[in-house]
Amino acid sequence: MTETWPLILGLAAATFTVRLSGYLLGRRLPDHGPWARGLQALPGCLILSLVTYLLMQGGPQEWAAGATALVVAMLSRSLPLTMAAGIAAIFLLRAYY
Amino acid sequence: MAIQEITAHPGARSQLMAGLQDILPLAVGVAVYGLAFGLLAAQAQMSGLQTGVMGTIVFAGSSQIIAVERLVAGASAGAALLAGLALNLRLLLISASLRDELAGRPWWQILLGVHLATDENWALMHAKRARGNSVGYWYLVGGGLGLVAVWVLATVAGASFATAVPEPRALGMDFAFTAAFIAILRSLWSGSAMLLPWGGSVAIVLLAGLLTPLDPTWTLILGGLGGAAIAGVLNND
Repeated sequence: MTETWPLILGLAAATFTVRLSGYLLGRRLPDHGPWARGLQALPGCLILSLVTYLLMQGGPQEWAAGATALVVAMLSRSLPLTMAAGIAAIFLLRAYY
Repeated sequence: MAIQEITAHPGARSQLMAGLQDILPLAVGVAVYGLAFGLLAAQAQMSGLQTGVMGTIVFAGSSQIIAVERLVAGASAGAALLAGLALNLRLLLISASLRDELAGRPWWQILLGVHLATDENWALMHAKRARGNSVGYWYLVGGGLGLVAVWVLATVAGASFATAVPEPRALGMDFAFTAAFIAILRSLWSGSAMLLPWGGSVAIVLLAGLLTPLDPTWTLILGGLGGAAIAGVLNND
């Protein structure tokens, strides 16, 4: 396809511009007060938004697997264990329910 | 947490290695998605070289998937680029929040750092730090280098051996990142001060998703910004 190289180079340039702009924007925000508190809370809020969106896309099976992962995360605080539990739960739920 | 804060910052090299090591479970998930993306790249008649170059210089999996999917569906390069770019606006917030990690670094390290920051290694760095480890820039770069290697290998392999690749969903692997982000959220939770910002984020995403025809990208950005704004306005220092 003749469209492939323009897409690859264009998307790379655009994506890098977004990444660098974020840095330049963050650097201009004050480092205490409301802006700093907001910036500090941003990672958790963004990741939670992503999880909420992903679970919304799913149904009861995904919600049950998400609850399983949450319980394992709270008990173990382990990333690999939580991933294994979530994947095993969704696999079993889809296979047997 | 106080005790760990007193211990000295680990050196760049050991942080790089720790980042590489800790990213492994997430890299397994990335590998599965890389294979799936390779499958799509093969449908778009992309060569192994094109797939590898794209993975290295774009290095944003979900936007690559959307853009190439648009191309396969017959869209122009421009339209495919816009779809991919919209998904990447989230990266603006990610690199904005890297301010402290990048402060005072030479330009090449800043350029490298923003390019290698993805949802996975960035979230992992915050989770690790919330548990009292003083990890920073080189931990992020270590995780990013691991991810870029796995992503390029897996996407090129997928494009080259398209017929032998299983669907992530059939293995339950489509849930890998949801589970990983749940584990990371558990580490980021630091007490009741986060109840309102986090509740706000969830409410915004649910309301926007259920009541408006907004594109998911914008829903995510609104949820993230809304929660952060609540945290900024509340003064609980």
